[in-house]
Amino acid sequence: MTDVARSPELITVIVDGRPVQVPVGTLVWDACEKAGVFVPVYCAHKKLDPVAVCRMCLVEIGTLPKLQPACATVASDGMEVRTRTEKVREFREGNLEFLLLNHPLDCPVCDRGGECDLQDFALRYGPGRTRRAITTKVHFNKAVRLSDKIVLDQERCILCWRCTRYYDEVTGEKELVLQERGVHTVVAPFEGRPLQSMFQGNLPEVCPVGALTHAQYRFRARPWDLRRTPSVCPGCSYGCNLNIDTRETEVVRFASSDKPEVDDGWLCDRGRYGSGDLNRADRVRSPEVRLGGPGRSMAYSEAIEAAATALASVISEHGRERVAVLGTPLMTNEEAFVLQWLAREVIGTPHVDHQLLPWTDLSPAEFSLGIEEIEACDAILVVGEQAEATAPVLTLRLYKAERKSGRRVSRVPGDIEAGEAARRIAGASRVGVISHERDRGLAAQVAAIAVASGASVGRLTITVGVNGRGCKDLGLLPNYRPGYVATAEVGLHGRGILEGCQSGEIRALLAVGPNPAVEAGADLDRACAAVQLLIAITPVRDAFWRHAGVVLPGRTIAEKAGTVTSSEGRVQTVRIAVHPNIAVPSEVGLLAGLGACLGAARPAPTAPAAVLEEIRTAVPSYAATAGGLRAAWGKLR
Amino acid sequence: MADDLVLTRLVGRPGVTTLEGYERVGGYLGLRKAVTLTPEQIIDEVKSSGLRGRGGAGFPTGTKWSFLPRDVFPRYLCVNADESEPGCFKDRYLIDELPHQLLEGVLIAAFTLRVSHAFIYIRGEYRAQRELLDRCVAEAYEAGLAGRGILGTEWDCEVIVHGGAGAYICGEETALIDSLEGLRGQPRLKPPFPAIRGLYGSPTVVNNVETLSNLPFIVLEGGAAYAQRGTAASPGTRVFCVSGHVERPGNYEVPMGTTTFRDLLQKAGGVWKGRALKAMQPGGGSMQILGPQHLDVPLDFKAVADAGSSLGAGALVVMDQTTCLVDVAKRLVDFYHHESCGKCAPCREGTYFESQLMHRLEAGIASESELATLSDICANMDGRCFCPLGDTATWFVMSAYRMFPDEFLAHCGAGRCPVRAARPAAA
Repeated sequence: MTDVARSPELITVIVDGRPVQVPVGTLVWDACEKAGVFVPVYCAHKKLDPVAVCRMCLVEIGTLPKLQPACATVASDGMEVRTRTEKVREFREGNLEFLLLNHPLDCPVCDRGGECDLQDFALRYGPGRTRRAITTKVHFNKAVRLSDKIVLDQERCILCWRCTRYYDEVTGEKELVLQERGVHTVVAPFEGRPLQSMFQGNLPEVCPVGALTHAQYRFRARPWDLRRTPSVCPGCSYGCNLNIDTRETEVVRFASSDKPEVDDGWLCDRGRYGSGDLNRADRVRSPEVRLGGPGRSMAYSEAIEAAATALASVISEHGRERVAVLGTPLMTNEEAFVLQWLAREVIGTPHVDHQLLPWTDLSPAEFSLGIEEIEACDAILVVGEQAEATAPVLTLRLYKAERKSGRRVSRVPGDIEAGEAARRIAGASRVGVISHERDRGLAAQVAAIAVASGASVGRLTITVGVNGRGCKDLGLLPNYRPGYVATAEVGLHGRGILEGCQSGEIRALLAVGPNPAVEAGADLDRACAAVQLLIAITPVRDAFWRHAGVVLPGRTIAEKAGTVTSSEGRVQTVRIAVHPNIAVPSEVGLLAGLGACLGAARPAPTAPAAVLEEIRTAVPSYAATAGGLRAAWGKLR
Repeated sequence: MADDLVLTRLVGRPGVTTLEGYERVGGYLGLRKAVTLTPEQIIDEVKSSGLRGRGGAGFPTGTKWSFLPRDVFPRYLCVNADESEPGCFKDRYLIDELPHQLLEGVLIAAFTLRVSHAFIYIRGEYRAQRELLDRCVAEAYEAGLAGRGILGTEWDCEVIVHGGAGAYICGEETALIDSLEGLRGQPRLKPPFPAIRGLYGSPTVVNNVETLSNLPFIVLEGGAAYAQRGTAASPGTRVFCVSGHVERPGNYEVPMGTTTFRDLLQKAGGVWKGRALKAMQPGGGSMQILGPQHLDVPLDFKAVADAGSSLGAGALVVMDQTTCLVDVAKRLVDFYHHESCGKCAPCREGTYFESQLMHRLEAGIASESELATLSDICANMDGRCFCPLGDTATWFVMSAYRMFPDEFLAHCGAGRCPVRAARPAAA
């Protein structure tokens, strides 16, 4: 149980002869887990309320004559739980016989074969033989298309209700229902309507068998052929943890990985099904130099040298301040840190950014509210629709705060008057104000009103891009150095840089792609075409690749090692899930190499881990973030 | 004997199904008296009457009422008129004959428990009874016996008649509550019990039609007068539905404890066609079978339990010597298979498997090992299901098998039903 109880009263439960201490209110199932005793379950789920319908977890308790469901029985002091008796063994065997009666024998073609609880428990506790030659199985529809994302095999369903309860309890959308009765019961979409939820991808994961399947993954792989790499969802800056499941060099699926403080085990569909973006065919495969002639493929070292030479000649001809550096919120912290070093310490230009619009009036209050702390606020105000549209999993946290903790969640449009918005949270003593960075101005005003009225206010600002927050923390900004140290001279921000490229004020641009934040709001093509020299590091054939004089292939996030910082300031690790099939230096290595060729006084480290050490020295807030902790920002300098 | 009757003493009086006719024979005097008493006084009377629930479980009514948490409002009363136990038709009879007696009982309970709304949840198939109750409720509202300011007091209570959709499981109190709320009628996880969190999350009492129909008498005559009938352990009278192979099937009200199965059978004219008794099932389709050796067992909760069965919902199904118990078991298993709500695995799949095996057994094509499988799956269901439906789906079959093992075995591999084959052609 994740409920945070203040010094809870402890009771002792004896599980299979082993005493364990658990807080009052603990379910027998959890007490067993604490005692290291595995109890098989289908309907029970850590994130859902108990229903006790599958009966798989029945155990003997004390002197009670009947077997009791461990998943729904609250432990009491001195309770004796027995899970390994003959009675329990016989029941498990019999119950599995029941569950298998009408279950098809299509394990060899089932997506879930190899990671299926029915398969596993049947092997571990099941009867091992069938007594069913006599009867025919009840048949159902094997491919009910619930939406473009989910396909349901009604025949494989063991009616554990996890999917309907997920919709009732986690998203509140109630899109799936049970229909018919008895052995004819099926899970079906409400009134036959296609599912519309943003969170459908969690359904196959809560399903303990192969009934709910991802349309994207259906019949694509067997679990034992997959290699699993823990990482962070690249879809937005919320920081959901996930597992990247790969087969050879292909990313086959994203699977959720429970980080209770952040995602609580859930992913949104945009994040989950964004895995396909990592398999794009239009990759930049080799360095290319096109300066003053047709493009030529070159070795990395030659291409880097050519880039450095071209850049040096622009600098000597037009001056350092005519060079701009544009990163992307998709970069890791290590890349961002090295890129700003390259801009400031080696090239010597103040024009460095990673986004279009300026980021001014920074205050530590902007990041003060952790995702987990939302549930502890008396009232929560979401300013503008963009925050939840950008980070959908936030919606689930808000629903949980409402449903489980009875918190008041209000939503106001981004163009509302601040005073009126503040009235929605009036009277609450602990207030959470959440907004997208686009609405941070209004959020700041609302927060100020609440603070003035005596409330304690926490703010969460949803930044753009998986590492938008890290790029800001580490000074990939024209107005702040790493750690939000204000710069003496304020350079051009993203839009200014692109306008400068067109006006001729900027003669050379070093850009890292792809940059959705920039692509979305500017005529990137025209700017890239106009600038005299464009050096691009990008994994895909984007606008930078089209117009660059020197192109260096980049890596996708599935091919990178390093850290990214989520909107709430959590510094989390991304790992190499797919090794690029050609020997590609990391971006950190490319940037360090470029620095060396440009005559950096001190070479940059080329290994991400070494860069992270430098970051921790340069930015004290990052010193204690190992293991996915939030950066602790004191008063900003 | 007529003096001993409680529930059916007014049956057949002229016009008694109307408010006017019912009041002419002393109707609603119990309610009129109740509103002059305190709820505690009424609960004391009910407790001293020893009244136990007539829905099947036999839980003491006064005790059930006292589980309601103090001062938590609103509270609700649900009247369980979802009578769907095979062999049971006493609630229908009580509604048909004395609808206002039920309504008076409902209002007495509602006053005692200080509920704001009383819901009469009536079985979907009881359409005529629903219409009758609708009319009676309208009469009661008209006469100021229900609604606002009942009988000139400051007490308000709405009475709502709600028809089910024909599911057996909705007779289970928490499934009834879910169905009433507009959800799928399926039993809820307990605890919390309805007394703590029932209908719409509020404290709720669910009482059976017959239970509540006793209240006008208990309030008017006193709990002690009620307890004089029957025995100390099983006080009062009870309406038994006698059906099957008897000369005069029907409802018979008899005092509990002092009446035996033999007495009851006699009231119904004995086994029909002069035949001998083979078996009987007390308590409706769910309960274990009894044999001729149990005829002198008194209709008493404990005595019947000691004999290995239960009075359940108060039905007695009589089977004569020509009956094939395998056939009866097959029909009952089919009923449970059809009515299993599908919530828990052992009941949903077990009743299905059971039904398949019983069909093979009855047809004489099952092997002895399949008979063993049948015992085995019944053992795996009994006591392991979410609610009693799945448990009781095994009770008749297994008790019949225990009592008539040879008859079950004789079916194995016989190629046909040996009992039917032995029957004289005229039968």
